[in-house]
Amino acid sequence: MNNISLNVLNGNGAATEPLNVNDCLLQLYEEHYELEDYQKGVPRWCTGCGDNAILTAVQRLCRDEALPPEKTVFVSGIGCSSRLPHYMNTYGFHSLHGRALPVAEGIRLARPDLKVFVNMGDGDCCSIGAAHWIHAIRYNMNMTAMLHDNNIYGLTKKQASPTSPIGLKTNTTPRGSYLDALNPLTVTLGVSNVSFVAQVVDWIPKLLYQTIQAAYHHKGFAFIRVIQRCPEWLPTHMEAYMQDPTRVLLLHHENGLHVDDELAKRYTKMQEHDPSDINRAREIASGSDPIPVGILYRNDEVPCYEDVRFDSRLRTTSLVKNGLEAEFDKFTIWPDGHAHVSRN
Amino acid sequence: MEVKAQDQIAFYLTGHHNGSGLLPLTNRSYRPALFARHADLTALRYDFPLILNVEGPPERAVLSLSGLVDEAVDALQNDADRDRIAQHGYQLERELRRGLSGHHTTGTVLDFATMWNKAAAKLGKEDATIADSAKRLWMLFKANGELVDVDFALPSRVVRHVWNVVQADKARIFHERADRLVLKLHSILDAEAAGSNAGRSPEKLRSGLAGQSGTSFSTTFNFDAMSRILVGAKPSQNLSETRRRRIQSVLDTIERQHFHAPASKTDTPLHSFAFYRCASALQAYKERRNEAIELLKAMAIAELEVSGEYREAGSGKGVADHDAIFADFGVGGIDASMLATLPDYLVCQNSSELGAEETLEIVEALSTGLPVRVLVQTDDLLEPSGISRASLAAPERHLALASRSRHMLDTAIGLTDVFVLQSSAAQLFRLQNAMLRGMSYAGPCFFSVFSGSTGHNGDVPAYLVAAAATESRAFPSIVFDPSAGSDWATRLVVDSNPSPHDPWPVYPFEYESGTLEMHSEDLAFTLADFMAMDERYGEQFAIVPQSGWSDVMTTISDSLSNSKTSKGQVNGRTGLPNAVPCISLVDGEGRLQRAIVNRRALEETRRSQSMWRSLQELGGINNSHARIAELRADERFASQITSNPATTATPVQPAKAQAAIPVLSEPVTASDIAVSITAESHGDDPYIETPRCTTCNECTQVNDKLFVYNAERQASIGDVTAGTFRQLVEAAEGCQVSIIHPGKPRNLKEPGIEDLMKRAAQFN
Ligand SMILES: Cc1ncc(C[n+]2csc(CCOP(=O)(O)OP(=O)(O)O)c2C)c(N)n1
Ligand code: SF4
Ligand code: SF4
Ligand SMILES: [Mg+2]
Repeated sequence: MNNISLNVLNGNGAATEPLNVNDCLLQLYEEHYELEDYQKGVPRWCTGCGDNAILTAVQRLCRDEALPPEKTVFVSGIGCSSRLPHYMNTYGFHSLHGRALPVAEGIRLARPDLKVFVNMGDGDCCSIGAAHWIHAIRYNMNMTAMLHDNNIYGLTKKQASPTSPIGLKTNTTPRGSYLDALNPLTVTLGVSNVSFVAQVVDWIPKLLYQTIQAAYHHKGFAFIRVIQRCPEWLPTHMEAYMQDPTRVLLLHHENGLHVDDELAKRYTKMQEHDPSDINRAREIASGSDPIPVGILYRNDEVPCYEDVRFDSRLRTTSLVKNGLEAEFDKFTIWPDGHAHVSRN
Repeated sequence: MEVKAQDQIAFYLTGHHNGSGLLPLTNRSYRPALFARHADLTALRYDFPLILNVEGPPERAVLSLSGLVDEAVDALQNDADRDRIAQHGYQLERELRRGLSGHHTTGTVLDFATMWNKAAAKLGKEDATIADSAKRLWMLFKANGELVDVDFALPSRVVRHVWNVVQADKARIFHERADRLVLKLHSILDAEAAGSNAGRSPEKLRSGLAGQSGTSFSTTFNFDAMSRILVGAKPSQNLSETRRRRIQSVLDTIERQHFHAPASKTDTPLHSFAFYRCASALQAYKERRNEAIELLKAMAIAELEVSGEYREAGSGKGVADHDAIFADFGVGGIDASMLATLPDYLVCQNSSELGAEETLEIVEALSTGLPVRVLVQTDDLLEPSGISRASLAAPERHLALASRSRHMLDTAIGLTDVFVLQSSAAQLFRLQNAMLRGMSYAGPCFFSVFSGSTGHNGDVPAYLVAAAATESRAFPSIVFDPSAGSDWATRLVVDSNPSPHDPWPVYPFEYESGTLEMHSEDLAFTLADFMAMDERYGEQFAIVPQSGWSDVMTTISDSLSNSKTSKGQVNGRTGLPNAVPCISLVDGEGRLQRAIVNRRALEETRRSQSMWRSLQELGGINNSHARIAELRADERFASQITSNPATTATPVQPAKAQAAIPVLSEPVTASDIAVSITAESHGDDPYIETPRCTTCNECTQVNDKLFVYNAERQASIGDVTAGTFRQLVEAAEGCQVSIIHPGKPRNLKEPGIEDLMKRAAQFN
């Protein structure tokens, strides 16, 4: 029996190899995306805000990986940085302050076919959402989590965050912050099942893109701390680091970032670091000047929670409905005044 | 020459048992010497019986009892009772074999669990701990189903079972896919209904809540207000009528399909796919063809619909549309990989029923390319050929050597895209992976199996007859897998035969003489040994009592190795052979006997030998073309060496290795290129180090014509005439990564130009 061979024309109008029906039906159109396919609205961030750089980097990633917008979701909490999903022409979930991660985890469980990205501020992730953060690392669910760390509460106008450095004057610490800052990298590297940790700065677009791309390709919970400028409240905070390239330490390795010659010329301080070495990763993570940039740790062997707990049942309407009703029943006060325990 | 030897030569030549003391092989208690130790099969641990397992994946569809016990014992590695349980396991195994042996040739269905419990109960009478061992082993087995041994029913049972398991697996995969698609298609329709104005009407909203377990939410909410808000919040989105109809019809087709049995019982009648004749299978295929096309088409459309990729005619993007493709779907036939998602047709036939018409039907079915699985079972391998059946005296009869199934097999292999598996029942377990591959092959598949139940082997168990057919090359194991590669050597595999690289298998054989001396010799196992097991061919052999053993008696392997005309076998003076081929047998008392093979039987053995030889060649073993090529290459090499002594020291280098090593010039590195880029002169013009731009919007806010984003959303200078020098300088000052270089002013009359030029200097 012959295959039905169809000469299907691709987007450029050139005849491709004859495909059999099975192959061609689903690939009739070679999907091709432009940056505009992922853009939505005009960002309301202050001019000069580092969030813009992160937005552009993720839009470029989506385009280059040809992520179907309907199969991609950006989840955030509350804060300036958390507005990012609004500017992505994909699915998005602008959730509650500190709660981006549990929402993202729910999405992964219910819709493992979606690519999940999470954008959080430093207050969002490291303060009110810290508990979720710890457990998200441990659950190691497949998603790309970006911490937009501007060392400040941006949206609520300049309160100290856990990552504000000691001595930083803010509205809540007018005489300077009293405590040493929390280091999101060492915290993440200290949690069991950690599988990917990276750090990057918003002002080196090439590295920002490469790092997010590596995180996206990692299967598991990929955590990136992006050091992000907030010119509105801390206009000179990162100035010195930006002006002096030797205050950035580029980590490179065949299994980590590849530094091209152009970058190498400007950022001369480099170090080869094998991302499978967690002890060295912890050492590097505890340094802050120069700022280590690159992949600190990566372990592809850690199992993902959604794989371990994969539920093959079809999520039919009745399954979802029964599940929800059973949950609601737990809280329902029935006319006789008793809480109803179970339907059965 | 002694008189005895003369009689022996005479028998070899004529096949007449004239000589005194030469007896025809009619006593059925004789067996091939190599089977001496297999008198009681129940005492042997071997592949059989098998369990046609109904628990587990297709790879565990057929299990061997011994294998299962071994697996279970292995799992008990650190258990203190391991040895005890293992011993009991072996006893139970034996008991099961005994229990089964009574059922040979009856084809009764025996259940593994029942037989296991029965054996445990019986042995448990003598030793109470056996029940515990039996229970613990059973817990580890994770298998259940029919228990089968080699008999006339085995081939079709095994093939049918594996087919069933594969079909069940296919059905599972189909339903997983279909259920997912149906659910999503319904969701598309439901979402539309819920989002429509009607779906958001007060009545609909009220019924949605009031329906909840009889609670009276209906009065709690103001549904009119709720409806107004919901309708106003989002415009209603309706599916196009064509799309709705398409989805509905796809749903109908998938939900009412008759091909795959669903997990739960339904009233929908299902098509049957098992047949006794190929003609009926083909007829059924033709009748269901349109239905199959509809279903496959519906599945393909559904996939496109749920992923939102279905393009209707005139929907713009691209040049082809799905409407056009599906209009012609299946017109030129259905793609094999698509057909493979539907159940396969199974036909089981016995070679004894194969007349010309049936044979033709099978050939037709196999040449259609359809996924049909045909089993032809052979029971009588040594059936005399049609031209010389019983009317002739035995010595005159021709052997047909499985000619019916062999013709089918040759034809099937000749069709080149048919998966072929030939095996005796005894080898079937070992070849189950190949059988599974055949069952999953996206095309036709032919199984040829010899049952071992010939009806002409006295009380020799069918297993031994089947095993002997494999050993003797009378029925070699063959796997021909068209998907394995493009040449014979990769497609045809004969490696699963014993000693596949040799003309016949040879085994060491030890025996004691009357004076209790140990002797050992190597015994070949050939077609002659196999024939000797068949009561119809007893007259082709002559038992020589030990007292008559003479120098002319030689082994059959020696006779086969020497060509007919070789000096070694023919006496130069008389022209008579000076050696007669013999095989070794054991009698009922376990005594070694030798039997002369007459010339006709030797010729048959030779013929089967040459069939095996050509099979080996096709399978890439000792291939004659390869050997000749090798010889020629050797000759060439030798002649080169003799004609050119200089080359003797270093072997001739293959041409490609002589390619000149390129001279390394200074490579141009990426950094050189980078240097040349950054050093590129911009003269007095303004420029931006675009790759370093962080997309911060600072400059574009100043003037979005002067500063523009490229496709990567990074800033560069757009229209220089669209802005002032002041804007260039201010943007440079504002740019946090300091990548804007304002250059020199174009208009020196711009107000405050001197100050601006000073400010610009630090950025140039
Ligand atoms: C439960 C809760 N508590 C407090 C707030 C107020 N709130 C909004 S944003 C924010 C902090 C934002 O800082 P960060 O997470 O660092 O984000 P940024 O704005 O800096 O990007 C706070 C405290 C809230 N929205 N919800
Ligand atoms: S306040 Fe800071 S973080 Fe927020 S948008 Fe403005 S610059 Fe960005
Ligand atoms: S100001 Fe600088 S970083 Fe910002 S958009 Fe313009 S060129 Fe890019
Ligand atoms: Mg912040």
